[in-house]
Amino acid sequence: MARANELPTQDLHAGAAALDEDIPRVLRIMGASSLEELGWSRLNKLSLLVPMAGTYQGNEDSYLVRLGFQAYRKWPPSAQFVNPETKSYVYPDDQRFVPKLTSSECYTHVAYRRTPQAAPVQLICCSATLEFYEFLHQVRPEHVWRETDTFLTTITAIRKALTSFYGGRFSASGQ
Amino acid sequence: MGGFLTGASGECLVTENSKPDNNDPLAAATHDLEAAEMRLAGARAEEAAAELDVERAIEEIKDAERDRDIVEVHVTHVNEVEKASFREKLSSTLQQVWDKSYIELKIAREPKDVFQTGGEHPKSLMNYLGLTLEEARRQKVIENFRFGIASETGGA
Repeated sequence: MARANELPTQDLHAGAAALDEDIPRVLRIMGASSLEELGWSRLNKLSLLVPMAGTYQGNEDSYLVRLGFQAYRKWPPSAQFVNPETKSYVYPDDQRFVPKLTSSECYTHVAYRRTPQAAPVQLICCSATLEFYEFLHQVRPEHVWRETDTFLTTITAIRKALTSFYGGRFSASGQ
Repeated sequence: MGGFLTGASGECLVTENSKPDNNDPLAAATHDLEAAEMRLAGARAEEAAAELDVERAIEEIKDAERDRDIVEVHVTHVNEVEKASFREKLSSTLQQVWDKSYIELKIAREPKDVFQTGGEHPKSLMNYLGLTLEEARRQKVIENFRFGIASETGGA
């Protein structure tokens, strides 16, 4: 199970199997018969693409979140806002595909560095994302990912921040 | 004496061979009396049926008024991937709906659980728990009666 101050370990086979198992559960609870019905898509065995939207100053902005299941379900899925064309995030070119989220439960960084020398990466700072643990982020015991959680927890946490703590799109320069 | 048949609506039908003898005034008067009694019986039956309809309509109105104050609530437990639906009074507070949700879901409350709106744009309702469903809807805190329970996450 996930623990604070412990680096996640990958298990691709277990991750794909857990995703296979959880998709029907999540579809059932959302009242949908397929991922397509929700506008979601499975890019490969270990990746799910989920469109999201946020409204800032009256304008609705669209985003695409890519969830990765390489360490799932012991650990949460990785989560990145990605370029809709490439389905990936490359710093600094793709900063504008990231929303500014400023919730205490979910905060976005377009160029997070664990150390000053480290390469900058995107971080959706939320205890329901894998990257949060990979960076050994401080976490309260009650916020630690539980193996009973599913990727719906991750999606809901990001959507909730987009609903109430959205400050528009990052610019190309990361501002 | 001629016979009488009763029509579908209770009216009196006098058969061809039951016509009174016009030359006998008593027979004609008796015939008229019997026809009038048949009409009266029909009218009373109709009145009784109408009274029954009125009673039913009053019950329907009462039911509709009762239903107007009750709504179907749908709650999703995000972390446990479970959902439940139940009927709730519009005068119930969001706190009461949240409390009842655990009973309906048969899931224990966790200290860091948060009550929020359902759907694609979940919004915390923790600052509105004292509002009734009706007040929350009127103040546009909620758009429908779909809710979610999710454990708080850490970040920032």
